[in-house]
Amino acid sequence: MRGMIKGASVVAAVMLAIGATTGGALAADGIKVGVLLPLTGSQAKFGEIEKRSYEMAAAEINAKGGVNGKKIELLFEDDTGKPDVGRSGVEKLISREKVPVITGGYSSSVTAAAAPVAQQFKVPFVICTGSADDVTEKGYDYVFRVNPPASEYPNAVKSFLHEVGKDVKTIALLYENSAFGQSSSKSFEADAVALGLKIVVKEGYQAGAIDFKPILTKVKAANPDMIYMVSYVMDASLLMRQSKELRINPKMFVGGGAGFTLPEFAKSAGDASDGVYSATLWVDTLPFPGAKEYASNFRKKYGSETEYHGAEAYAAMYVVADALKRAKSITPRDVRDALVKTDLKTAFGPVKFISYGKKTQQNKLDTYLVQWQKGNLEAVWPKSVATKKYIYPTPHWDKRK
Amino acid sequence: MKKNLLPILLLAVLAAVPLVLQDNYYLHLLILFLMWVVIGSAWNLIAGYTGQVSFGDAAFFGCGAYTAGLLATHFGVSTWWGLALGGFTAVAVGLPFGWICFRMRGAYFALATLALNEVLRHGATIAEGFTGGMVGILIMPSFVSKIPYYYIALALAAASLASLQWVVRSKPGYYFVSIREDQDAAESLGIDTHLYKMLSLAYAAFWTGMAGALYMNYMGFIDPHVVFNLHDISIMAILVGIVGGVGTVYGPAVGAFVMVTVQEMFRSGFFGLFKWLGAVSGSDSLVRVAAVLTQAHVLGFGLLVVVVILFLPNGIVGDWPKIRKRVFRLDAGA
Amino acid sequence: MDVFLQTLVAGVLKGGLYALIGIGMTLIMGVMGIINLAHGQLMMLAMYVTFVLNTMGVDPYFSLFVAMPLLFLLGVGLQKFLLNPLIKADTILPENQVLMTVGIGMALTEIVRFGFTSDYKYITTTYSNETFFLGKISFSMALTIAFGIAIAFTVAMFFFLIKTDLGRSIRATAQDKDAATLMGVNTGRITVITFGLGSALVAAAGCLLAPVYYIFPDLGGPFTAKAFIITILGGLGSTVGAIFGGVTLGLAESMGATYFGMEYEDIIGLTIFVLVLLFLPGGFKRLTKV
Repeated sequence: MRGMIKGASVVAAVMLAIGATTGGALAADGIKVGVLLPLTGSQAKFGEIEKRSYEMAAAEINAKGGVNGKKIELLFEDDTGKPDVGRSGVEKLISREKVPVITGGYSSSVTAAAAPVAQQFKVPFVICTGSADDVTEKGYDYVFRVNPPASEYPNAVKSFLHEVGKDVKTIALLYENSAFGQSSSKSFEADAVALGLKIVVKEGYQAGAIDFKPILTKVKAANPDMIYMVSYVMDASLLMRQSKELRINPKMFVGGGAGFTLPEFAKSAGDASDGVYSATLWVDTLPFPGAKEYASNFRKKYGSETEYHGAEAYAAMYVVADALKRAKSITPRDVRDALVKTDLKTAFGPVKFISYGKKTQQNKLDTYLVQWQKGNLEAVWPKSVATKKYIYPTPHWDKRK
Repeated sequence: MKKNLLPILLLAVLAAVPLVLQDNYYLHLLILFLMWVVIGSAWNLIAGYTGQVSFGDAAFFGCGAYTAGLLATHFGVSTWWGLALGGFTAVAVGLPFGWICFRMRGAYFALATLALNEVLRHGATIAEGFTGGMVGILIMPSFVSKIPYYYIALALAAASLASLQWVVRSKPGYYFVSIREDQDAAESLGIDTHLYKMLSLAYAAFWTGMAGALYMNYMGFIDPHVVFNLHDISIMAILVGIVGGVGTVYGPAVGAFVMVTVQEMFRSGFFGLFKWLGAVSGSDSLVRVAAVLTQAHVLGFGLLVVVVILFLPNGIVGDWPKIRKRVFRLDAGA
Repeated sequence: MDVFLQTLVAGVLKGGLYALIGIGMTLIMGVMGIINLAHGQLMMLAMYVTFVLNTMGVDPYFSLFVAMPLLFLLGVGLQKFLLNPLIKADTILPENQVLMTVGIGMALTEIVRFGFTSDYKYITTTYSNETFFLGKISFSMALTIAFGIAIAFTVAMFFFLIKTDLGRSIRATAQDKDAATLMGVNTGRITVITFGLGSALVAAAGCLLAPVYYIFPDLGGPFTAKAFIITILGGLGSTVGAIFGGVTLGLAESMGATYFGMEYEDIIGLTIFVLVLLFLPGGFKRLTKV
């Protein structure tokens, strides 16, 4: 027993020694920016897109002279998609790396868990993706959000229904039981009722189900005008494939963001993806400065497509750099004061942290509607940004060629 | 008394830690370590001493955490009430479950505990109106500093170890072991095995629930996947138990230290050692090694399980004589 | 009525696949008395084999002929080098073998994640999206074929166990290991073969599932859970029981999803599991005696 304790204390001493040498040894002349992202685990795919976008933006900023001559150094912390890991990641960034600002935050739950840490330690946290509504409803004065909250994702769907889909009266609502799915389905239901629409089926499911036919059979029997689905990519694909198998023919299939905009969705669902709409926060045809360049540079540099999550990350990097430039000093407090006064045009849209409704320090942006047409994702709504005209109503499965 | 000297000394050292070490990062790891001491020793009583392996510790952990969280969201009281009540909620869930499921033996009981956890996890996810569903429960932690949490965790860990030591030396403690060794024989000796198994389960549920309540207070965020988690809680509890040594009082404490250290070591790429070496030497391959190691942290876990079961089936404390012998022989040979 | 029939068809077709997953587990549990908590992970591995072969242009159904032998060998290796040595080890807990399978499962998942990342993989075939209709009820082509193959395998397995010497030895070991040893059965070898067979069968399930589902490293866990629910339902070591168990679980899940709500799907399975453990220990095998 005694020898064992001795061994343990040696290990502890070595740990401490390593910690002491590595903490703060790097980057004496740069500015550290902490980035919290899921780099491993099931959300790593999106984490990777966002990480690349951050790196791309930082490289661009550094090439143009950095922040008042100092280079930005990104410190990525892997949250593995788990709230507790994300929390300790943020703590590590704050107490060991002493970063003046943190950004990132992919999943709703990780972001929700990480935000209070930043608030307590009074280090500004610029959220790029995590969309749970209540994060910016708690009055945290060190938490900022670039992206719209989950409840606003379907805004474009609402205006589309108002102007084009006037004959949509009944809706089936299917959502995965995740923080994003549950909160956005709840707010969508409230919106739909306010618009005078009737929810005929509302069903949650566990992500990863093999067979959606039982609920789809129920949906078919209810014969709704529109099916609104909040699902990640592979569940989205199975839902559409099995809708086709059962020949369910609503006027619109609409995805509530996340999985429906990824290329993998169309590839794995095949022709079952044709005509499917999705809410989205960004498309590269938007008339924002640098939007098109960002998408094409990303393709050039990494050989793969980016999508709205990447644009969020890319813009968040510019927002952070802008605040660092304007800050009186590189301390969390001054950076926070600079962030409050942000007024920046980014590739993701104009960014300004305002208060409205219950929300504080929240950026307000429009959302958009895209549609898969012959394997391409086309922006269809609002008309001002449309790349193709919408196809409405979606043709019946049997009448497709 | 002499036997208790080492633990008391260790406790004194741990109590003094925040006086010298104020780095939040290490305090965080130490708090996690202390929390796992509580969970691991609770698991050890039911599995290591009574022989009823539980695969569902997360069920009790989650009950404790949700007690704290729900009290705060529904009644507006402090989550610290969870520490008073969380353990009892876990017992309240554990006892009826044990009453029904203790007629099953061995692996079947283990599976039933697993099912209990899954049912609770799904239940907490679906009952959105009551639990907040997957949106979870978010509170503002009471203290900015880690030191209060550290002392609370230390007090819990010390209390759980002391109570474990007391229990295993009491009469029920011997009954527990007799059930593990041969349930039928114990029964024929007139021991009410059903009752004692329930007692053992109640003990384990209580302490695991307390750890859950601590988690809610400390982390400030829970959702069903975090607290009712098979891998991160239930299996981790088993690992803490078997790595340290089943059926030993201090085994799980050693196991908790090893597991938390190993987990963080992999996650942070050996505390940034490789990254730092890479940066100093300018060698890309070392940076890459760091990246690979970080990604491989669960793999490291899996392999550790395989290796420990294969070579140290009774854990570090249980097989300590064996380890010492091996090491000595190695020394003599060299 | 259409809703009921469609749900029934969906449940039975899914049940066929479940049966195949369950048979492997039931053999292992029956013969060795341990729960293999890496069962779903073995299936996941087979799905990746199918995926890799598919990128080379091999149809998922033909990859059965590669994935099954490969997983058989892997199963044999795992049993021989990792699980059997534990029988001799002197430990406090008899559950060490079960814990070992947990470790094996974790390691398999992470090794695959290493090679293929966490990205979702999928196999699209010409028949992935095909359907045919009987009246108003739609049948997925791929699932119907999978159901047919699953039933064929199960029947073959049944006759193998009843008619061949090896099959009889496996059944003897399952019934009473000590007696079997005394009667001259090399039970050590039998456990190794059984683990291999169980792995090969779950590999077959993986190949059949691949075209209608998708593939990612973490998919094993939920299927392991389904496999032991089926095994408990059907009774240890009973192939016929596994079919009943699989179809019952498939039906219960589908009916539950239609008439209660899809979020209750897993709870229904788990509730049945606990009820059977309590009120029908031994599962359907006790009713059918096969």
